Amino acid sequence: MCPKKTSRLFALLLTLLLVGIYAGASAEVGVSDTSVVVGCSNSLSGPLAFTGTELIKFGTELYFNHINEKGGIHGRKLTLKTYDDAYDPTKAVSNTKKLVMQDGVFCILSPQGSSPIFATLEYLEQEKVPLIFPFQGSPLQGKTIFTSFTSYPKETEIVLHWLVEKKGFKRIGMIYQDDKYGHLYRDQALETLKSMGMELVALESVKRGAIDLSAQMAKLGQANLDALCVVLVPGPAAMVIKEAKKAGWTNTKLVASGPVTDEKFIVLAGGESDGVWGFSLWPDPVHSQRPAMVEYRKILEKYAPGHAANRYSLFGYFYAKAFCEALQRAGKDLTRESMIKAAEGIQNWENGIITPVSFSETDHAAQEDGFMVEVKGNVFKPISGWLSLEKGKLTERPLGE
Amino acid sequence: MLLQVIVSGIATGCIYSLMALGLTLIYKSTGHVNFAQGEMSMLSGFVAFTMFHILGFSVTFSLFICLLSSIVIGLVMERLLVRPAIRAPHFNVFIITLGASIVMQSGAGLIWTHDQFLFPSAFPSETFSLGFVRVNGISLGIIATTGVLMLVLYFFFKYSKTGTAMRAVSESQNAALLMGISVKRSFALTWAISGFISGVGAVLIAPVIFLSTRMGLVVINGFAAAILGGWGSIPGAVLGGIMLGILENVAPYYFPSQIRNIIPFAVLVGVLIIKPTGIMGEEEKRRV
Amino acid sequence: MSVQVKGTKLFLVMAAVLFFISPLFLSRYAIYVLNLFAIYALVAIGLNLVMGYTGLISAGHAGFLAIGAYSTAILTSVAGWLSPLIILHVAGLLTGLIGFGLGIPILRLKGIYIVMVTLAFGVVITEIILQWSSLTHGDDGFRVPRAVLGGFVFDSDKKLFFLIQPITIVMTLIARNIVQTRVGRAFRAIEQSEIASETMGIDLAKYKTKAFGLSAFYTGIAGGLFAYAMTYISPDSFNMGVSIDFIAMIVIGGMGSILGSIIGAVILTGIQHALSELPKVQTLIFGIALIVFMIFMPKGISGLIMDWKQGGPNRKQSQ
Repeated sequence: MCPKKTSRLFALLLTLLLVGIYAGASAEVGVSDTSVVVGCSNSLSGPLAFTGTELIKFGTELYFNHINEKGGIHGRKLTLKTYDDAYDPTKAVSNTKKLVMQDGVFCILSPQGSSPIFATLEYLEQEKVPLIFPFQGSPLQGKTIFTSFTSYPKETEIVLHWLVEKKGFKRIGMIYQDDKYGHLYRDQALETLKSMGMELVALESVKRGAIDLSAQMAKLGQANLDALCVVLVPGPAAMVIKEAKKAGWTNTKLVASGPVTDEKFIVLAGGESDGVWGFSLWPDPVHSQRPAMVEYRKILEKYAPGHAANRYSLFGYFYAKAFCEALQRAGKDLTRESMIKAAEGIQNWENGIITPVSFSETDHAAQEDGFMVEVKGNVFKPISGWLSLEKGKLTERPLGE
Repeated sequence: MLLQVIVSGIATGCIYSLMALGLTLIYKSTGHVNFAQGEMSMLSGFVAFTMFHILGFSVTFSLFICLLSSIVIGLVMERLLVRPAIRAPHFNVFIITLGASIVMQSGAGLIWTHDQFLFPSAFPSETFSLGFVRVNGISLGIIATTGVLMLVLYFFFKYSKTGTAMRAVSESQNAALLMGISVKRSFALTWAISGFISGVGAVLIAPVIFLSTRMGLVVINGFAAAILGGWGSIPGAVLGGIMLGILENVAPYYFPSQIRNIIPFAVLVGVLIIKPTGIMGEEEKRRV
Repeated sequence: MSVQVKGTKLFLVMAAVLFFISPLFLSRYAIYVLNLFAIYALVAIGLNLVMGYTGLISAGHAGFLAIGAYSTAILTSVAGWLSPLIILHVAGLLTGLIGFGLGIPILRLKGIYIVMVTLAFGVVITEIILQWSSLTHGDDGFRVPRAVLGGFVFDSDKKLFFLIQPITIVMTLIARNIVQTRVGRAFRAIEQSEIASETMGIDLAKYKTKAFGLSAFYTGIAGGLFAYAMTYISPDSFNMGVSIDFIAMIVIGGMGSILGSIIGAVILTGIQHALSELPKVQTLIFGIALIVFMIFMPKGISGLIMDWKQGGPNRKQSQ
């Protein structure tokens, strides 16, 4: 290496170092008077690429653009740095380290997938970086962690209580995806039904990416079920419908899990999903006329003309909104601590989309409920109010449509 | 009930067979292993999807264009990727097709997103009762088409002049040259036919497993099927696919869920250890 | 000793010193990336010992990485007082033994069969990890305890640097020696022509199994270091795409070259980190690179360097 190059490199290093010291001198990592930088490692390629892209590009970033155009929050513009992990935990760790150490982000907002998120938990805790509203359904707890939608075990409990108590179903079976998501559902179902003095009558698993469910469905068909919980993803769930139709099932109600209760499922089932029940976390992203939902579609149309609304972009949008609410409340003097304190102070936040959100020092879960829907004319129509479990008892609140 | 599961397994197996057929064909006539066979299907599937969903053409016409485009894709692959490396070891071509599969998958994602789409079937989706068994029209269509395709290919290679010439090339490129057979033409033809099979695959498979950038992954089962049946044998490819399909379906019927996921792989490894040439394969002669 | 050699030696010593004091002035993220470079360099060397030197394709090396990682994680959690050097050795040897065992049936196979068996091996390993949850915690993933060496806890990337880098350097030197000895020449002869080497009196079976065992040993050690560096491993960390990444490393770096393995590992890992903001382009570039290298530079970057060293790219190599 020639001396000139070396000296240039040295100068560059020195500058970087000085910049680093300067950045460290400001009040909080990732926060300046004019900006807040948050980060996220998500699936922009790999098996969950669609979900991740919708969530980030048409959800979180969309809402950030909207807020920035209105002048930001307390004069600070919001920036989201996203790196792709392709659902690989190793890449998620690398991305998160880059976000924290190199980009100096204020917090991690809405990363996706339980394996990639779990891989980064210890590191984030060690660095005291808040993890805000991850897109995943395992129960998570921590002083600096805020969770988003109803966890899978909670959802399982709600659905089973509703099926048994409100609908009087006795013979309940389950077909689940053979991974963490499916296992959380399965294990909770075994426990919940046992506590009610019942059992899962039939239980079959499906490998991720399987293309033929006929054997599992044949076995389930012999169990003479009242209801079959379909704990898969939209593609295989649509195959379940087709198999059930082929085998001529008539007495078994199909009950879709939260991830299956998605408009994609109706599309892939090709008009054969009418009558299926499901557990919905959201109002219908396409048809709901709630003002807040209309606004979401309006903003989506403004920044991404012609892009279809769906539950993933709605997730990104809504939780970006909730995050901004916390930032707003934290005030001008923004630190990680003040943001967490402000978030914990949120009580009955009317958001017009889901049940009013409340946090406290011990409760960091944004949502703990959902409602039952039925597919009618290729649209999910509500058939219950907001369902939640309070001290083990099923409670129902009006939807407020 | 078991019969029902077996029939369904045959239909799934035929999907594997179609993949295996494309692989086998290329291997048989050029000695190359094409890792991008599944992605070729995916790509022509998306061409059809664009035709009917975005440009608004009729489904029949779109499916026709799908088959046509698949031949073009095969020819382009041969011309752009395989011919420049024609003198290179087969390993290099394998890596090239691996690279091609990655490019095709991410390229398709850029154009059509990584979402899953419904793909119309060329066959009716009504359910028929055949004796004790209930089968839907799509399954029957897959089984029938695969059968016909296999027979055509088999007779083409056995009896037609072009087919014999292609076989000669695969035996020895030099000898074929001396006999006045164009190796280049033979290679191009092989890839065109294999492309066509991938197109038929797209038409048959996409309605069942949906159209997405990841649908090409089914090629892994195609490889397993081709090896099970005997690598390089056309009837073997079909038989191997069907056996794999049945096995995958019957195994969950009898075995506990803990081990059934690895049964196809276990069988594959077992076959390779006991009889590496598969069910229909011939003992490969070593060339010095 | 000529002046030139002396100069080179001095340069090497200085480079080594500079390298080992680099954590003092490098950013924490840069140190982490350097650690990953080293880990993947070990994997690439291991894979090259099989693919580059004997021509056997392995599409399941993520499986070996997993065995090394999980055995290290499990050993460290039940016997954390053991020196990580011993734990890594046990993990490496266990992986090597399994590799040796896999090498035996593979002996009889060729080409595509080997690809399929190794691919199946990778899948079966992750499936075993998933099912054997009493030992591996299944899909909950495994939190790897910190390595402790005589009271010193390797709890940051900076500290791990001094565990990972020396091991990688020593193992690289050992690999370099191996390929220059009789064994290495035998490996290479197998790659050139199996029949010719057999007639030359090389016991094919012996060397192929040895190559597989050795390769697995290297990858197993890398897996152990991987577990320490990641602190959390799950079956998802070892999917098929990871195995394909490994193949890409040695294809781009250079088949049959230790230097090439390191270059490939550094380039691929580097690109993944540099372009993580542009995922779509990243995979596209990655695929195009595979094609371009195989068509125009089948010997990879190390091949280019060798050509250049031997007097410009135009000069034909004598081999």
